[in-house]
Amino acid sequence: MKWSFRRTLLIAFNTFREAVRMKLFLVILILALGAFASSFLFKEFNFGSSELKFIADFGFGGMTLFGSVLAIIVSAQLFIGEIEHRTALTVLAKPLFRSEYLLGKFFGSWLMVACFVGMLSLCLAIAIWVRETSILQANPEAFQGAEPIEILQVIAFGIIQILRLGMLCALVALFSSYASSTVFAMSMGFLVWVASQLQYIATDAWSGGSHWLLKILFAFASLALPNFHLFEVGDRIALGETLSAVVYLKLATYALLYTAFYLSISIVTFNRREF
Amino acid sequence: MAELIKIDNVTKDFPLPIRGKKLRAVDKLSLAIESNTVYGLLGPNGSGKSTTIKLLLGLLKPTEGRCLINGESVADPSIRKNIGYLPEAPYYYRFLSGTELLVYFARLQGIQKRDAKALAGNLLERVGLEDAGGNRLGTYSKGMLQRIGLAQALIGEPDLLILDEPLAGVDPIGAAEIGALIRDLKAQGKTILLCSHLLSQVEALCDKVAIMQSGKLLAEGSLDQLLVSDEDKSLLIKNLDTESRERIVKTAISMGGQVSVNRISLETLFQRLVARNKRSNSVSRANEEGENE
Repeated sequence: MKWSFRRTLLIAFNTFREAVRMKLFLVILILALGAFASSFLFKEFNFGSSELKFIADFGFGGMTLFGSVLAIIVSAQLFIGEIEHRTALTVLAKPLFRSEYLLGKFFGSWLMVACFVGMLSLCLAIAIWVRETSILQANPEAFQGAEPIEILQVIAFGIIQILRLGMLCALVALFSSYASSTVFAMSMGFLVWVASQLQYIATDAWSGGSHWLLKILFAFASLALPNFHLFEVGDRIALGETLSAVVYLKLATYALLYTAFYLSISIVTFNRREF
Repeated sequence: MAELIKIDNVTKDFPLPIRGKKLRAVDKLSLAIESNTVYGLLGPNGSGKSTTIKLLLGLLKPTEGRCLINGESVADPSIRKNIGYLPEAPYYYRFLSGTELLVYFARLQGIQKRDAKALAGNLLERVGLEDAGGNRLGTYSKGMLQRIGLAQALIGEPDLLILDEPLAGVDPIGAAEIGALIRDLKAQGKTILLCSHLLSQVEALCDKVAIMQSGKLLAEGSLDQLLVSDEDKSLLIKNLDTESRERIVKTAISMGGQVSVNRISLETLFQRLVARNKRSNSVSRANEEGENE
């Protein structure tokens, strides 16, 4: 029997279908859209480009925050939750490789997170475009001395966030591959999310620390954890800066390499797991 | 008949949180199951039945020994093309409908989408769920989940069906229907390995049984071999006084006639074996404690 990407895709689409039918997805989507829509209520910030920056900041923040929460909960729920409920036993008793199952679960969760971020990016892009147009119609000189926000950059930000959340989904898959409960996998996911946001501190400590033990510890933390701080380019985009394709390419390569690394370890761990 | 399943001196230990301690779930178990038999694996809770099944499905790895299906190691996933498995108390994707679940599993087994839909319809009809195929699994009763579990186990027409408590939660009519389905599968040449606590139904369905306790095999054989016990050789003679009965027996034997032996029930045998094993375990434990003191 050969390893099959078709079976992986079948598991991924089933995972995606299940995730979409979960009420949780809808609740988080409504919450995110609600938070994003509330940015329009702050009329006192209506000073031309500042208002757009405010909307963009709010949108980027919501995308990152809710996207991360969704990635952790959904990845854990759809993977380890299935093992906890013993649904996985029926699937793993079918003629398939465990790596196909694990990758299917990962791709299904990631696809769902990608749809979520995609929807928010689209809403944000439309909102910025509509507001930009109406501000310019009211006052053609509103953006004098300030750069308008580029819609393409908003979409590119969304794509970069999808790649960042792919790393988070892969990390949760890694914990789920050996965890015995959903709560553990989720808790580890949230812990690593926060640690990855602060990874740059470990990198600084590694280069600047004196004690050899601390140096080893920080070296491990800074290599094992991705630096999520690198992906926070929303501020620059909100200020109208155009990021080059090279920046996006570097970030994409970084995210894909870490994702592949975590998935490889997950497959090794999951293959050794007993049910 | 050819040997389909071979469990060869298998031991399975699970590590315990206490350092150096382990739990022995299966202890030097050896079984050989021939094809086209209905084989019952019986035992009280924690006797190692489900662990044995998981070892056969490659979900667990034996600490010692080996499991073979059709002469091949169960570690190879392709072996499972020929196995249908119904887990104990199945819990499926509650957001899927019965039809969607069957189509998903059929497609995982390489069946094309159109054929998978037709197959799902046939299987739903076979397990008596043709009217519930469109309903979400979250709305299914325990008995219905058991039936849909049986339907998914039948996908791909496997030669071996491993059914863990197939009759649990099913009402008497449903149980009779599933029993008829199992007999029908046997008639088609399939091999069925089933675990159950419902001994009267096992007795009615199985050709052979194995009784386990604490991971060990207590008894194994055909029902005819096991249920005609030396302890219970008795004659069923009605409406005669003792003297007459004795004369009848003597006469029957002297004349070379046959005297029918009354069979005990499987339930009686099961309870007797388990109780005897418990007694011998407690005696040996008491002896060990005596020696230690």
